[in-house]
Amino acid sequence: MKTFLKSEKMINSIFAASSMIGFLVIWQLIVSMTNLKLLIPGPIPVFQLFYSSLFNKIGSYTLIQHTMFSLFRVFVGFSLGAVVGLLLGISMGRNRLIDAIINPIFNLIRPIPGVAWIPMAILWFGIGEPTKYFIIFMGGFANVLLNTYAGSKYVDKKLIGAARMLGADNRRVFIHIVIPASLPYIFAGLQVSLSTSWMAVLAAEMVCANEGVGYIIIGGMNAGNTTQIIVGMIAIGLVGLVLASIMRTAEKRLCEWNIREG
Amino acid sequence: MREKTKYKLISVLSLVVFFLVWELITDVLHLMPKYVLPSPLKIIEVFIKKLSSKSPDGSTLLVHAMSSLQISMVAFLSAAVIGIPVGILMAWYKSIDRLVKPLFDMFRPIPPIGWIPIMILFLGIGLWAKVAVIFVGAFIPCVINSYTGIKQANPVHLWVGRTFGATRRQLLFTIAIPTAMPVIFTGLKVSLGISWMTLVAAELLASTKGLGYMIQVSRTIGRSDIIVMGMLVIGVVGLGLSALLDLIENKFVKGRNQ
Repeated sequence: MKTFLKSEKMINSIFAASSMIGFLVIWQLIVSMTNLKLLIPGPIPVFQLFYSSLFNKIGSYTLIQHTMFSLFRVFVGFSLGAVVGLLLGISMGRNRLIDAIINPIFNLIRPIPGVAWIPMAILWFGIGEPTKYFIIFMGGFANVLLNTYAGSKYVDKKLIGAARMLGADNRRVFIHIVIPASLPYIFAGLQVSLSTSWMAVLAAEMVCANEGVGYIIIGGMNAGNTTQIIVGMIAIGLVGLVLASIMRTAEKRLCEWNIREG
Repeated sequence: MREKTKYKLISVLSLVVFFLVWELITDVLHLMPKYVLPSPLKIIEVFIKKLSSKSPDGSTLLVHAMSSLQISMVAFLSAAVIGIPVGILMAWYKSIDRLVKPLFDMFRPIPPIGWIPIMILFLGIGLWAKVAVIFVGAFIPCVINSYTGIKQANPVHLWVGRTFGATRRQLLFTIAIPTAMPVIFTGLKVSLGISWMTLVAAELLASTKGLGYMIQVSRTIGRSDIIVMGMLVIGVVGLGLSALLDLIENKFVKGRNQ
């Protein structure tokens, strides 16, 4: 069985490697054989620029600094959104009065996508950092709120009843039953919200910024520099991948008893 | 039951208070300048006016909305038509899975908005650049969900089918795909949401028509009333689209309420 698994893994990685190499070769061939070379660079210049921009500047910062700018914005906006979403979600889920008051207003705001707030945010906060935080916040908090709400509202009533019967007060029911039961939902919400935040920061930086990965690709577009755009996209993809795997690891650690499928 | 009506009343009251306070701080007390926060009455007024008026951005509201709808629907539908079969094939044939999955995983973490600049360079700022950007975004959840949906098909059902002599093709079409339908529809919903959001982003950046363009132009001339009205229209259209999809799902997906 073990050797079978091993060989299965081997086959998978051989296939993965060959499809990657195939992709790069086809890319190179298309670029060198056809007129598309006027539009897109081959893989080699892209990797060269990617490597050199780790140390040299694009605009006024290196690639790493641009990424740090974007990550910091996501960090601020996402944390704000997560805190507000968690607090509102739990209080709405556990208290019908708060639910009745806030839910209609929330439902008015919820269907508006985060990026649609960009023009209004610029009018309100100018083109500085708060605008970006606000856009990321608006893009991220709704998912956290919705999931926290669903998780804490539909806690198994039998569990709560059992705890009550054994003499737990409200606070203990909340800490020992409601929170653990809603954690998997909360994490699902946080995951979605982190990826929408990453998307929102790109949109915000593409509309108004002089730094960040969104600026790299929009700057590349304005200068007609396709190599720079692709380098920016690679950086964006890599960061997105890292963010997603951080969330997944955190989820595995914190919700060990309840790993969601898929 | 009475408990329920009480909370319903509170909800209605909360909305009324929300709008009253909004109206109070804008039209009555003038705590906020007009370009920062328009009053709710002003928004309704501008909504009615914009139905027939072309100023200040060159098209009426309906023309903007239709243009946005057209682009997002073309992209969404083609993503569904191509993405779902790709996901199914990846789940059903191991060699396709092994070849395509690594490539797919490589492109997946790039958000659709990140494709905007390169698509604009390739295809200009017309219809097709936007369609391509939205397609890339909407394609991914379609593939992922039909992939997981097929993979989740109960092996016992497949064994039963095989015992009774079903061909591989019959197994796929009569067992695996119907089982996967609810998951596929969830993917469609996600991808519809992404389509609509990406469309707005694309129109903010490069466009001459559409709801996103309308709010972007209104920002440059400080017409916050049109911006807020546009945001609400974007929200309502998005809700309408997902309600439509729910309706289709309830009609075509069997065995969901068991």
